Amino acid sequence: MTAIKLALLGLLLAVAIVFPHLFGNATVTLVAFFALLYATMASAWNILAGYTGYYSLGHAAFFGIGGYAMAILCQDYTIQGGYGAFYLLPVCGLIAAAFAVPLGIITLRTRRHVFVVLTIAMLFIGQLLAFNLLGLTSGSNGMILPLPPWIGAAYNIPFYYTALALLVLTMSTSFWIRRSRFGLSLMAIRDDEDRAAGLGINTWLHKLIAFVVPAFFLGMVGATYFYFQGQIEPQFAFNPLDDLAMALMSFSGGLGTVLGPVLGGLLIEGAQQYFALTSGVGGNYLILYGALFLAVILLMPRGIIPTIAAIWSSYREKRNDQQASASPGEASNSEALGVAEGTSR
Amino acid sequence: MLLNWDLISGAVVLGIFTGGIYALMASGLTLTFGVMDVINVAQGALVILGAYLSYAVEQHLHIDIFLSLLITMPAMFLIGMLLEVAFIRPLKHERTVFSILVTFAIALVIEGILGKIFTTNFVQLGANAWYVNQSFKIGGTYVGYIYLFGFVLAAVLLAGLYLLLYRTRFGFALRATVENRTAAQLIGIDVERVSAITFGIGVSLAAAGGMAFGATQTFDPGSHYDLISRLLAIIILGGMGSLAGAMIASIFMLVVFNVTSVVYSPTWGTVVFFVLLSVVLLVRPQGFLGRAEARRQ
Amino acid sequence: MTHLRPRRVPRLTLAVISLLALLALGWPSSSIFAAHHKGKKAVIKIGVSVSLTGDFSGDGQSILHGYQLWQSFVNHHGGLRGHKVKIIYKDDASSQTQVQTNYASLISNDHVTFTFGPFSSLLTVPASREAARFGYAFPEPAGGGPQVFQSESPLHNVFFVQPAPVVDDFASFAHWILSLPKGKRPKTAAYASEDDPFAHPQVDVARKILTKGHIKNVTPSAGSSHGVIIWPAESPDIQSVALKIAQTHAQVVVLGTTGLPEATGLIKAFIQQHYNPKALTEASGPDQGSLFSKAVGAKNTEGIIVPAGWWAGASTFENKAFVKAYLKKFHGGLGGISQDAAEAFSVGQVVAQAVNKDKVLFPASKANAALIKELHHGRFSSIQGPMKFNKLGEPEGKMFLVQWHHGRALPVYPKNLAVRKPEYPKRKWH
Repeated sequence: MTAIKLALLGLLLAVAIVFPHLFGNATVTLVAFFALLYATMASAWNILAGYTGYYSLGHAAFFGIGGYAMAILCQDYTIQGGYGAFYLLPVCGLIAAAFAVPLGIITLRTRRHVFVVLTIAMLFIGQLLAFNLLGLTSGSNGMILPLPPWIGAAYNIPFYYTALALLVLTMSTSFWIRRSRFGLSLMAIRDDEDRAAGLGINTWLHKLIAFVVPAFFLGMVGATYFYFQGQIEPQFAFNPLDDLAMALMSFSGGLGTVLGPVLGGLLIEGAQQYFALTSGVGGNYLILYGALFLAVILLMPRGIIPTIAAIWSSYREKRNDQQASASPGEASNSEALGVAEGTSR
Repeated sequence: MLLNWDLISGAVVLGIFTGGIYALMASGLTLTFGVMDVINVAQGALVILGAYLSYAVEQHLHIDIFLSLLITMPAMFLIGMLLEVAFIRPLKHERTVFSILVTFAIALVIEGILGKIFTTNFVQLGANAWYVNQSFKIGGTYVGYIYLFGFVLAAVLLAGLYLLLYRTRFGFALRATVENRTAAQLIGIDVERVSAITFGIGVSLAAAGGMAFGATQTFDPGSHYDLISRLLAIIILGGMGSLAGAMIASIFMLVVFNVTSVVYSPTWGTVVFFVLLSVVLLVRPQGFLGRAEARRQ
Repeated sequence: MTHLRPRRVPRLTLAVISLLALLALGWPSSSIFAAHHKGKKAVIKIGVSVSLTGDFSGDGQSILHGYQLWQSFVNHHGGLRGHKVKIIYKDDASSQTQVQTNYASLISNDHVTFTFGPFSSLLTVPASREAARFGYAFPEPAGGGPQVFQSESPLHNVFFVQPAPVVDDFASFAHWILSLPKGKRPKTAAYASEDDPFAHPQVDVARKILTKGHIKNVTPSAGSSHGVIIWPAESPDIQSVALKIAQTHAQVVVLGTTGLPEATGLIKAFIQQHYNPKALTEASGPDQGSLFSKAVGAKNTEGIIVPAGWWAGASTFENKAFVKAYLKKFHGGLGGISQDAAEAFSVGQVVAQAVNKDKVLFPASKANAALIKELHHGRFSSIQGPMKFNKLGEPEGKMFLVQWHHGRALPVYPKNLAVRKPEYPKRKWH
């Protein structure tokens, strides 16, 4: 990692850390909190979908499981609202991951769109069980989570930093996987699973790990989200729209890149909340939001980050050509880079 | 508890008739997937759009809702062609996945527009038509005529579609495209034209399905969310691209749901269906009548 | 190779730029909305979040109509203590996330003086918690589920502006059945409800009262919850539920519906099954006036009962003005007026009376503290009749029964509010 890169990452993190102090307004921190959470979710989803090529439309189930884990733990151990509840997050993540192991073993027996549908079924079965297992989840009545003591605009701050920490953790994991041998194997599976198996990769185990790791992060995100909401019901815990959101965010940011899903999450969740806040009448907001989506998908089919990166590098190339200082290997070098970065698929 | 056979046979009969209506809604979805590798998640919204068009025709022109199809189906056919040319055709890479995103956006826009025009109040089609309230006896139970008519409509349209596919030049071109897009192109078939027409047909079938749906249920612009997950489950279970499969899967879904409901509890109906769906797919990933191998793009 | 490294930077740079752009987006959102209340008499802004899209959009729109009618009404009559009132609304798309953002924004960006509630208990809980964090009172028209009052907030800022807590909606119906003369009284009853925190408890209350009064519960026990058939919120086919009920041949049917689709679906299926109960009541659906009668056909509405807190012909406080204003603005007949709108209008009435008593409007923090105190202690009048709230903000009145007579929904029970005699047994379907 170069010094410039490190410095930039540090700057980003610093900006994110001081953000609530610059913009103390409750709406701004609230939207920022939701945007960070969705960015984390997209980033986690990308580990399975982006690196491994398995599009799960059921991973929101682990978001719900994490949320219910939080609610049930708080109820059974009469945990008071406050900072203490945040220590439960890893536990909730682990519970979600524990559910993911058998579910992954079952669903990963299939590929492509059958896998997609099995994961959708997984989500709905989860939702229906949450409705029907009254003793555990109180069914449609939902469960109340402990009430944190913070008031006014200050309420959002601990949640904001928790979400930021989750995002950093998920991104680091994503980044590490992307650079590791493990990640290379995942991408080999994505490009041609049979050949990857032929090369001696244990595809079963690799896919399973790629299935379970996002579940861990999503479980923690779900626990944070519902602790913030103060209430959890089956239809919001197991919400198919959350799955679509993760997919849309990853695709529009740039599937298979580290930063793309994060940027997609921040921008889309931010834009959605912003449109809903400003455009008043209901239908307008849906039309605007839908139209924006169409524009992004059709104009930048590879996602924002890869598209802009491609424009940038072709611009640089042109400039370098004009300066006529390019070495003979220049053009092929940058092309190779685009591939190595995984931007083109 | 003793099993009440009247109740169970009633549930089965209702399931078969209602299943016919679902088959009509799902047929367009499975057709467009077969021909174009496109998963049109806007199908639910298009069904609702079709229902609203019938509603508008009924309210303003006072035309019977079955006759309204003579207006709404051609109109929806054109809308479908337009959507294909404007939004589906530009998708060149990862068509299947991107089609989900694009059509989801289309669904949102449709919902927004419907909400502005028709408000978000629930409405129902043909509330005072005789066939909506009257019923006939079959076995031990009554079935509303609307279900019978909806079922007949589905059977007629699906039979027509079958003839179109297997007895016409266009059908030949369409099936060739299903078989192999590139090869079809090589033997001189205008694949883009076939795609546009197919999408148009799929959307006009949504209009018919929407009419039947709207006559058996009240609906509002947001009703499409519930619909689409069921329609997707149906076409996967039936085998993507297979019309007969969609028909069988629709009936299977409704019968399973209804029988579970009357024998045990409605809340477990959907659970049982999804569990059976998962089991079928694990044993037979291609669904009831799908091809053994998912085609590469 | 020296060119290689700098090439890798752009993406990060882009990310930084985008984040900065996002920051830039943060600026205007706090300044655009900032309040500028200078001048003579400041306008009192009241913030509401309503569902104009998504699952609750039908009811959400009616709630907004009610609020807006109250706004013109109160401004026409001199405003709140001389200040003009302005309702500021935002669409929450029936989403729990958005409803919180909306109230946060209404309070911290729009600087509203008061907040009124959205539709549905599902949105009221997170919304009322958000309001509580800023010390705002939360009078609300439509969140009456038990968990709304469970929240442990020490502020107790929620006030449910309907005559009775939702749990007791069917109590009047059960008491009416038991009040029938012994010879006429029905002997069997069946119960079904949507799996919903709002509907199910009501049906349970009716079941308990009727079972105690020796009306036999004939609901099949397999798979039911204590003798109530439960159906899921998203059910592909409500017919099977109707079939199961019809087969019991129960004389009384109590249905915990949550909206028009199930309410009409069940009735249509009963008609098709030639199943004619002697008394039929639904929690929601038959209260939606002409929308309901259009959906099931006017003739088939005859005799259907729904618990209600308001009706168009009531001689309650300011009701005539409300009805007149509603018809002027939205046209349609008396039967077309939505109960939701009436409930929302009542919220405005109650708050106006409380403010006139506590006399505090500035600053918002003091106004809300005074409002909360006043709402806990005072008695108020509304188009839904008298209002009084207990410690938790639950109302302490009773619902009455409305029955459809010749295409109109009219109060029939209890006697002091009735304008028609209750029709029993209900006539056969046409």
